[in-house]
Amino acid sequence: MLELSRRRFLIGVGLSGLAVASPRLMAAGSSAGEQAFHSRPIPSTGESVPAIGMGTWITFNVGGDQYLIDQRTRVLETFLERNGTVIDCSPMYGSAADVIGAGLDKLHAHDRIFAATKIWTSDGSETREQAATSERRWGIDRFDLLQVHNLLAWQEHLATLKEMKAEGRVRYIGITTSHGRRHSELARVMETEPLDFVQLTYNVLDREAEERLLPLARERGIAVLVNRPFQGGSLFRRFQSEPLPSWAGEAGVGNWAEFFLKFIISHPAVTCAIPATTSVEHMQENMGAMYGQLPDASQRRMMAEYVRQL
Amino acid sequence: MNGATWLSYSLQDFVMFGPEVFLRLFARINQDLWPWLLLWPLAGLVLPWFGRQAAELPRRLAMALAGLAWIGCGYLFLVRYYGPVNWPATGFGWAFVVQGLLLLLLKGRALPAPMTWPAAVSWWLAILLLPWLSVLEMPDLWALALFGLAPGVTVAATVLLFARQPSPLRWLLLALPLAWTLFSAATYWALGTFWLLGFPVATLVLLVVAFRVNPSPAQTPDSQSVRPGPGRQSP
Repeated sequence: MLELSRRRFLIGVGLSGLAVASPRLMAAGSSAGEQAFHSRPIPSTGESVPAIGMGTWITFNVGGDQYLIDQRTRVLETFLERNGTVIDCSPMYGSAADVIGAGLDKLHAHDRIFAATKIWTSDGSETREQAATSERRWGIDRFDLLQVHNLLAWQEHLATLKEMKAEGRVRYIGITTSHGRRHSELARVMETEPLDFVQLTYNVLDREAEERLLPLARERGIAVLVNRPFQGGSLFRRFQSEPLPSWAGEAGVGNWAEFFLKFIISHPAVTCAIPATTSVEHMQENMGAMYGQLPDASQRRMMAEYVRQL
Repeated sequence: MNGATWLSYSLQDFVMFGPEVFLRLFARINQDLWPWLLLWPLAGLVLPWFGRQAAELPRRLAMALAGLAWIGCGYLFLVRYYGPVNWPATGFGWAFVVQGLLLLLLKGRALPAPMTWPAAVSWWLAILLLPWLSVLEMPDLWALALFGLAPGVTVAATVLLFARQPSPLRWLLLALPLAWTLFSAATYWALGTFWLLGFPVATLVLLVVAFRVNPSPAQTPDSQSVRPGPGRQSP
């Protein structure tokens, strides 16, 4: 797991204010000697995390297929080489946790990641047991972030997660939704519970979160993980054959993956987008969004308008 | 969740693995079981020969072979290989095993009458042609969907036997194949592996064929000749 080093802490605290003021400035937030990449502070502590993470829904669920396990390990290796740390999973994702664990073992990378998973059971008394099972499958001692999956039995799980956080069994706690569902209920939880993170769907087409959830996250000091940044791949299917806008370079965008991801991470409330992929090449493209210039507010409006017209 | 939330889900939202992972299941199980996997299609080829015999013992053997095929694809393909990537497959796998055991236990309820030629030919066509559907999706001979290992072929062929049983056993035996047909069709559609839709389609076609070429055992003339006589009551 990613431990909070003094250097990391100082960088995170020092740059947290800058992140809110200007996403562009956060490109200077990486350590010297490495290519600058965009990172974001977790509001509850100031700890900084890279702005692009890795989701594992569908992509890492390959069962016992050693050929595919090795291939996904190369995807994970590319992610880590490009300074990614945030990996998100769920017990719902079949064998994905085991495949992550196998990859981390092979790469000896357990201490280089920000490990995030979810609690996914309707039995509110199984929180600790499921977290322990996930720790074993990942091969780690504890998670950085545990989230209640899709608000399932959230009252019971969140109560236990708060206890676990107080005991030091987990560093951050949160709650998730996806596909734009149950936003009203999520907002109520955000308003009343001491969350470190929320996870929600947000992309250049699915922008409902801009209305209530993202402003609320900023107001309440809650970090935001963004799932389905490519709308489950459909954004590529719809737009990849289209040309990028002529002004894309001015917004720091060199391909469609960067277009979609930079749109997301340039929102001031967003902490980290977690795209998923099975391909090393696509991982390289995804991680490319963590580097270079980010679009400003007016360019973001142009991006949304451009895809709307397409 | 309320009804509106459920309705907002698409079929794709319930499939948690990609087509490559699923198609490689066929190749992986074939490579892992080589060369012993050949026993299954060989058993499938000789099964109609047993099923066509007038004597009851070979027809019991036919049902036993079908039972072993269900156990094979239930435990090996569904529980061991498919289950880790799709948890409902594990449930189906164990149900397949139970169905296979049921077929093995049906001592006194072998095929009520010999298989007709149309049924036998349909069977052979099913186990010889359907395996190629997975190769059409994944151009690799290792990906052949073999009888006794791949559920699509096994289910499609064996409905020809189940439809021969008297009610209510017939419907008991057909319930799981029909449930699998629905489940697998939804999965293949969501994955976009459209050639594989040939399995559920073939199952339904063969079911219709079975009912047309195999009338109810009570109406089958030769079914009278295989009823146990007074000296050979089934237990």
